[in-house]
Amino acid sequence: MPLIAETMLLGLLAYAVGLGIGWAIWGRNVR
Amino acid sequence: MKVMKAGWKHGLGLGAAMAAALASHVLTAPSVIAQIHARADAALERAGGRGVDARFTTVLGLYTRHPRLETDRVLTGDERTRLAAEVAHQRGVGGVRWASAPGLAEARASPALSPDHCQKDVEGLLHVRTIRFDEGSARIDPASLSLIDEVAEALRPCAGSRIAISGHTDPVGDEAANVALSLRRAEAVRGQLVRRGLAPQQLVAKGLGSAEPVEGLLPSDPANRRIEFSVLSTAPVRPTPIDLPVSQ
Repeated sequence: MPLIAETMLLGLLAYAVGLGIGWAIWGRNVR
Repeated sequence: MKVMKAGWKHGLGLGAAMAAALASHVLTAPSVIAQIHARADAALERAGGRGVDARFTTVLGLYTRHPRLETDRVLTGDERTRLAAEVAHQRGVGGVRWASAPGLAEARASPALSPDHCQKDVEGLLHVRTIRFDEGSARIDPASLSLIDEVAEALRPCAGSRIAISGHTDPVGDEAANVALSLRRAEAVRGQLVRRGLAPQQLVAKGLGSAEPVEGLLPSDPANRRIEFSVLSTAPVRPTPIDLPVSQ
């Protein structure tokens, strides 16, 4: 796979991880 | 879900992550690939891969961690695997491929097999077990058929060699009848081997009667009733060079 594709996928992974952490910290307080 | 109402924030977040990824690629990829390339070249030098190039670009010209190895030298399959493993071992290198097939390489690589190995393999098998026949007949005892399977497997890699199957008997009775019986037994074994896929031109059946008793045994020993295999002539076992398709 070209390096650019690997880097973009890592970016996607980082976003997904950030999303999960954000939900864990702030999202669970939703009424 | 409440989080879906604020969907534009996700688009923004994702876009920011992708932009960051793109920026990091543009800024760092050339030097990162250059470092990996240098490590791969050093590894090839140490491993004896002069004249082998590691190309860290894809067919479209994009940077990649997965190099393609190219060379004008003729290398054996084992050498190619070894060089590829050396490169793959380097830090940062992903999957290594060779750009093209070996071609003539295989012809030089394989050592000539010893012509005796077929005979030794079969002698090893028959040393402890014998192919049994019914008393005075050429009918192979069904219990010996699995042994004949194993003999066929042992002889299969000897394609091109002529193999003699000789039948022997003990000296009891009329010698001419013994010779005829031993020939029929050898032919029975030959037929069974041909049925298991060995080439008929390769196998020659001979009946020797009691002319050649086993060394060290009395001629009247029943162990003289046996089948022996011997290699008459061998064919060269170097494979011939062929054009192999180029794999991209």
